[in-house]
Amino acid sequence: MSLLNTVESAEPKKIAVYVCHCGGNISDIIDVKKVAQTLSQYPQVSIATEYAFMCSSNGQDMVINDITNQGVNRVVIAACSPALHETTFRNALKRAGLNIYLYEHVNIREQASWVHKQDKDGATHKAIALIKAGVEKIIRQDALDEIKIIANQRVAIVGGGIAGMRAALSCARAGLKVSLFEKRSTLGGNLNRESLIYPTNQTAQSVVDQLGSEVKNNPNIDLLLNAKIVSVNGFAGSFQINFIDLDSKEQTIGSGVIILATGFDHYKPYEGEYAYKTSPFIVTLPDFTKILDQSAQPKALLYEGKTIKNIAFIHCVGSRQMDGVDTPLEGKNLNEYCSRVCCTSAIFTINNLKIKYPNTGIFDIYSDMRTYGLEHESLYEKASKNDVLFIRRPLEERPQIEQRPDGTFNVTSTDVLSWNEQIEANVDMVVLVTGMVPSDISDLVDNMKLPRSTDGFLQEVHLKLRPVELANKGIYIAGTSQGPMDVIETLNAANTAGVKAVSLLSLPEILMDPFIAVVDDDKCTGCGLCISECSYDGALTMTDKIVNGKTKKVAQVNGALCVGCGACVAVCQPRAIQVAGWTLDQFEAMVDAIAKE
Amino acid sequence: MKSDLDKQTDVLIVGSGIAGLQSALDIADSGLNVTIIERSPSIGGKMISLSKVFPTLDCASCITTPKMAAVANHPRIKTMTYTEVNTIRKTADGFDVDVTQKPRFINEDECISCKKCEQACPVYVDDNFEYGLGVKKAISIPFTNAVPQLPVLEENHCIRCGACARVCPKDCIDYLQEPIPQTIKAKAVVAATGFEIASMGIKPEYQGETLTNVISSLQAERLLAPHGPYGKVLRPSDGKIPDSIAYVQCASSRDQSIGIPYCSRVCCMYAIKQAMLLAGALPLGEITIYYMDIRAFGKGYEQFYAQARSMGINFVKAKVAKISEDVDRNPIVRIDRQEEGSIPQDITHDLVVLSQGILPSRKDFFGLDITLNEFGFVQSNSPTYSPAKTNINGLFVAGVIKGPKDIPDTIMEAGSAAIDAINYIRENL
Repeated sequence: MSLLNTVESAEPKKIAVYVCHCGGNISDIIDVKKVAQTLSQYPQVSIATEYAFMCSSNGQDMVINDITNQGVNRVVIAACSPALHETTFRNALKRAGLNIYLYEHVNIREQASWVHKQDKDGATHKAIALIKAGVEKIIRQDALDEIKIIANQRVAIVGGGIAGMRAALSCARAGLKVSLFEKRSTLGGNLNRESLIYPTNQTAQSVVDQLGSEVKNNPNIDLLLNAKIVSVNGFAGSFQINFIDLDSKEQTIGSGVIILATGFDHYKPYEGEYAYKTSPFIVTLPDFTKILDQSAQPKALLYEGKTIKNIAFIHCVGSRQMDGVDTPLEGKNLNEYCSRVCCTSAIFTINNLKIKYPNTGIFDIYSDMRTYGLEHESLYEKASKNDVLFIRRPLEERPQIEQRPDGTFNVTSTDVLSWNEQIEANVDMVVLVTGMVPSDISDLVDNMKLPRSTDGFLQEVHLKLRPVELANKGIYIAGTSQGPMDVIETLNAANTAGVKAVSLLSLPEILMDPFIAVVDDDKCTGCGLCISECSYDGALTMTDKIVNGKTKKVAQVNGALCVGCGACVAVCQPRAIQVAGWTLDQFEAMVDAIAKE
Repeated sequence: MKSDLDKQTDVLIVGSGIAGLQSALDIADSGLNVTIIERSPSIGGKMISLSKVFPTLDCASCITTPKMAAVANHPRIKTMTYTEVNTIRKTADGFDVDVTQKPRFINEDECISCKKCEQACPVYVDDNFEYGLGVKKAISIPFTNAVPQLPVLEENHCIRCGACARVCPKDCIDYLQEPIPQTIKAKAVVAATGFEIASMGIKPEYQGETLTNVISSLQAERLLAPHGPYGKVLRPSDGKIPDSIAYVQCASSRDQSIGIPYCSRVCCMYAIKQAMLLAGALPLGEITIYYMDIRAFGKGYEQFYAQARSMGINFVKAKVAKISEDVDRNPIVRIDRQEEGSIPQDITHDLVVLSQGILPSRKDFFGLDITLNEFGFVQSNSPTYSPAKTNINGLFVAGVIKGPKDIPDTIMEAGSAAIDAINYIRENL
């Protein structure tokens, strides 16, 4: 029997349609009353209603009540994106005892109200069409069973910086086996340095050492240094990580979950950007902290044989870039985002410089001072008291740097704080306060088909609902692979990735949507076209089967390997192969419904 | 009669705002039992009262209510609402937590949430949920999306007229209900008690408590919320639709003079968000944000700020010196506009919102000898190792109890506290 028609229900189909206001997100644009009323007239729809928040307890109870007391057996919810609340409503159906696949989520927020704000009638009309399509789909939907996968109780963590180490410890302490992959020969990533970090005033190395020694001593953690990931196959519960180990041998490790803690790189200005590389005295903030740490001179900073008396710090280099103001290198995107940590980092470094060399003159050119943390404001306060001269530039202006014949620099900027006066600072050194960019993991991104946001960092499903999950089930992100964070924020993010891994693997089986190819053996002619079209090794094979008393060749699906892409469906002339939950009949009925509108 | 089993749990969570809810779900999803103690009649905390949330502009309910429902329906989570935590005592095998369940004056097991009592009640009282902008009945379900959907009779306002008791179809009203004290044993505790915003009178120059058309940021949230007190944006003095609205940033943050030197982290972003929502609600309105620095530091926040500028919201770099009002009760804001020379200007608006800073919600911590920082927030004892840990072994903290932070950062901390609690129990008990 095929999966497509497992339960040919004898009872008549009773469909309920719920239209959510989404707290105004939908109802401010779409006439939800009209939508509900129109749908209530639609064939086979027995209930159609609207409500302010379908996802709330009240809204869910309404659905459950209609299933239990009104005999509703097909549910259509027109609301936000299914990425937000499909799981919410599936759980409600589960509580009501209805198969979770007998519900269709129609997105009338992202696909109607949000994109047609200027055309309320059009948005309403579109919502009606989309919901009718949803009704037609659910009419043709039968109960399906989730695919159960026995989960490998190992977590693969990519990246041995503090995020990777923190996540590894959290998973290992919870009893899971961990493989921690680090491409370098040491743990610690960007924090592998002696300089101090805010707000705790300890060395970065001490943070790395504390986590690192525990990682090395934890029997549940297999530490794989000098390991380069080549490719990743599989799915949640059963991934295979192929990598090259320190002996240049190709190896494979299986895991149930993957945590990506691939971190960040410091933004590297290109030659000529803020005069970078035109002189050794134009340096980035990470370079400067090293110079400061290594300087043993008693009274003033000595660098490249020159005594540094005055320094200009320029904020937002490589961050908060604006179209028409900043020019990225060809082929590079503008970094529109704020890198979050650089303001405080610069101020912290300036304060440390002032402790070591109190007589250094400092000009700090910024746009908004983002010392946002609890203790950070007092660092800013301290810098002000330390005679740092703050120059606030207008948002759209950039300071100009000009090198003088004596090797010093004239840095000029408009200063909002002194009523737009032009300030010219003569300095011996310029420190470019550079931000964060995602580390180059393009191979992994391509291989694993990972989603990235426009800023290039890995893209979580939803910042508040599923903040460390990628759209790819079983893959979590930890730390600055997601976006700029400081040390404490990174550790929190890593712990959150850890707890999600622990939760997912706390059940013996992982449930997956059964939206995979299924074959109708009666219709299958054994032509094999589908197999040549399939891109997933082993997902489709030809086999001999006894069908209606006769042995014939039919296509057979391996449920664990099929991803439900539908490539096979497109080439099957007798319509013998279909994707469960997304059959051709359903698609055709949906298109017909929309076309009729 | 509650069974003894009810009085034991693996992890007890104090507070059911977004931090407490998320910690509870993360812990329970990993297989442990959780009891949440919430002093309000509903779970959901401050977040459930917000309008929409930055930077995604999802309605706050759309994020909070599903988590509330997930908690309410979770087989391993027990919630005790309208219950105060009195003391938490560290014991050899965990914590003894003394709580008092406050009387709702209804039979909770019998109530069917029909709201007939609420309709019959003749007494109107200030609605805390609307931060004083609206009214509710002396017996009422706290708000539309409350979980549980149980009414509370406010003892101090009830006139014992019996109207509610007469209409109740289940005969639930019980005027004689008493507080129920009990002790719960927990192996670990997650404290997620959240915050209060600074009082409107904290900066006398702004006259926040006396000027009617100067409102707090949380009141502004309610004006913009889908189920808000007036159903639209109106100013309190005369119900007029405001044409000119101003935000005063750092109204009680970054200000040594009032004892709040720190940045409250969220005010820039919520002001920008509210300004964008106002621009949508009042297309002809003029919205101005007076600020010192715009701190749009989170993922997608800078782009959100850029979007607000392109929508025509005025960002004026100025610290507001004082606020007064004219005869029509229009607030007058005195600023020193730094971009245009040092001449103080008086600018009249229809409505002014004070971007109030964040204070810890508790001064005492249930008798626990917990380390606080100089600002009264709980100090992590290992911020660069595992930030949710405190000086008390087995007690972890999540969210604003540790310092101001936005919702995404709070949710990350909730997960962090959750894994620490899980592993603490696994290794120690």
